[in-house]
Amino acid sequence: MEYLLHIGIMLSIYVILVLSTNLTVGMANLLTLCQAAFYGIGAYIGTFFLMQFNLPFVLIALIVMVATGLTSILISYASVKLKGDYFILATLGFQMVVYTILYNWIDVTRGPYGIPGIPSIKLFGIWSLSSIYAYFILAVVVAVLVAWLFSRMQRSPYGRILKAIRTDELSAQSLGRNTNKLKRWAFFLSAAFAGVAGLIYASYVSYIDPTSFTLDESIFIITALFIGGIGSRVWGPIVGAVVVVLLPELLRFVGLPDAIAANLRQVIYGLVLIVLMFVRPQGLLGDAKI
Amino acid sequence: MGQFIVNGIITGILYSLLAIGFALVYNTTKLFHIVAAAIYVFAAFMFYLFAVIFGLPVMVAALVSILLTMGLSLLTDVSVYRPLKKRKSSNNVAMIASIGMMTVIINLIAMLFGNETKVIDNTIHRTFALGGLIITTPQMWQLVAGSVVLVLFLLFIGLSSWGARLRSLSADSVLDETLGDSTSSTRSMVFLMSGAFIAIASCLTVYDIGLDPSMGMNMLFNAMVAMIIGGVGRFGTCVLGGITLGVLQALTAWQFSSNWQNAVTFVLLLLLLFLRPQGIAGYKQRTV
Repeated sequence: MEYLLHIGIMLSIYVILVLSTNLTVGMANLLTLCQAAFYGIGAYIGTFFLMQFNLPFVLIALIVMVATGLTSILISYASVKLKGDYFILATLGFQMVVYTILYNWIDVTRGPYGIPGIPSIKLFGIWSLSSIYAYFILAVVVAVLVAWLFSRMQRSPYGRILKAIRTDELSAQSLGRNTNKLKRWAFFLSAAFAGVAGLIYASYVSYIDPTSFTLDESIFIITALFIGGIGSRVWGPIVGAVVVVLLPELLRFVGLPDAIAANLRQVIYGLVLIVLMFVRPQGLLGDAKI
Repeated sequence: MGQFIVNGIITGILYSLLAIGFALVYNTTKLFHIVAAAIYVFAAFMFYLFAVIFGLPVMVAALVSILLTMGLSLLTDVSVYRPLKKRKSSNNVAMIASIGMMTVIINLIAMLFGNETKVIDNTIHRTFALGGLIITTPQMWQLVAGSVVLVLFLLFIGLSSWGARLRSLSADSVLDETLGDSTSSTRSMVFLMSGAFIAIASCLTVYDIGLDPSMGMNMLFNAMVAMIIGGVGRFGTCVLGGITLGVLQALTAWQFSSNWQNAVTFVLLLLLLFLRPQGIAGYKQRTV
């Protein structure tokens, strides 16, 4: 039972991550390779507040969202106006630098040793979540909330403008929209939600180290998104997250040795990605062109 | 400090080689050839396979590795990029497919050879002293072989008719084809040469510092930044950018710690994208 709950929690975390990535990749047409960096920043900032202050969850989540969002400005100001490849390169660089910082700034992040003993989330400042059941409920509630928010956002004026930018950026500009500003907001929100996923992950696992937030993780998230489908449907990213979280669990029952299983899983994802680009580049449930 | 600058120039030459390998594909096809990271790793492991496991002489092993890598490079084009182009897929689609190929190749290598770091030659190398500067044998190789290859390539690109075909393909592939050039054969040559450059950079580097399956991306990132700070669209600029980057990184290592080299690279990239997106010696492009 605990095994199933664990999968449920990880699934919820990935649903949040993939949905947040869809905001930049699918809606704002910004192909990013640094979602794991924001995930990591959220995890480390969340850890700091969990360990130093005794604050209720909602407050910490808000702080993490704002703080992670602010770090996204570092890169979005320089890079959102860049087109295509340069933007991808900038996000790739950001991902690698964040990893470098998490790994080398030992005074603050403890580098490769990681941070153990992260306290659990306190729901209203008193109610400490200790059991895995409580985490499961919290993670699912947050994931559903985020999914609901994103589906609302698609229909909001903001979502419609993003859709217009995605379809034809020049037309949107000619109608007086500040497309760069709107894209920076998309980047900000996407980072903020990835940060929340990081917060939940950090306090659930109660130990973090930089190896969870590598470029490979970013690629993994992108893979999940493209399997599910990019664009305005909320179900696409959710399906993608389900596939990538459940596939390794299924492979586990096949009984491969652990050393090979991890690499084999990656090979499968890579092949799926290539085949998808031929057959259905927007993903299973996607409706946006890339 | 002189020592750091010399080391920086040598590293810069390695970046330049890889940057040219990437730029050959990027300039002519506009593909964000991210699978180059995996091709780089492939070359290193082929070098390791023939030099250490099969025990061939180092030069022979390097040559075999370069040939095999050229084959792999062409294979990525023929099996994925060209079919995608035929389907009129966008460059972003090709890039995602490229990421897919990278994941597949690197993980296959990791499955076959294991994830731990390996060395090609763990004897203590003879060093050369040049007026207070110390250069090790692998560094000597990197300096000499690297510069020779770079100079020959730049001459070849600048003077031969093939260089002209390459430039015409990168300027306008449709027009190039209309005018009777075989774009597909030029394209094959581009990928073969790109593979050769990636392999040369890889063999020269891993002979010095060893290899592991996850080393490719870091190196490729440096090479891409070298290409961008030099200026996109030409090849000589890759050398300019590569050496600039190498020296700056070496000075960072001298002043702070080698751990922060990536951070310096990134700051340099951001500054450049902000202030001069066409690079130090590049020209403005319509797409940027």
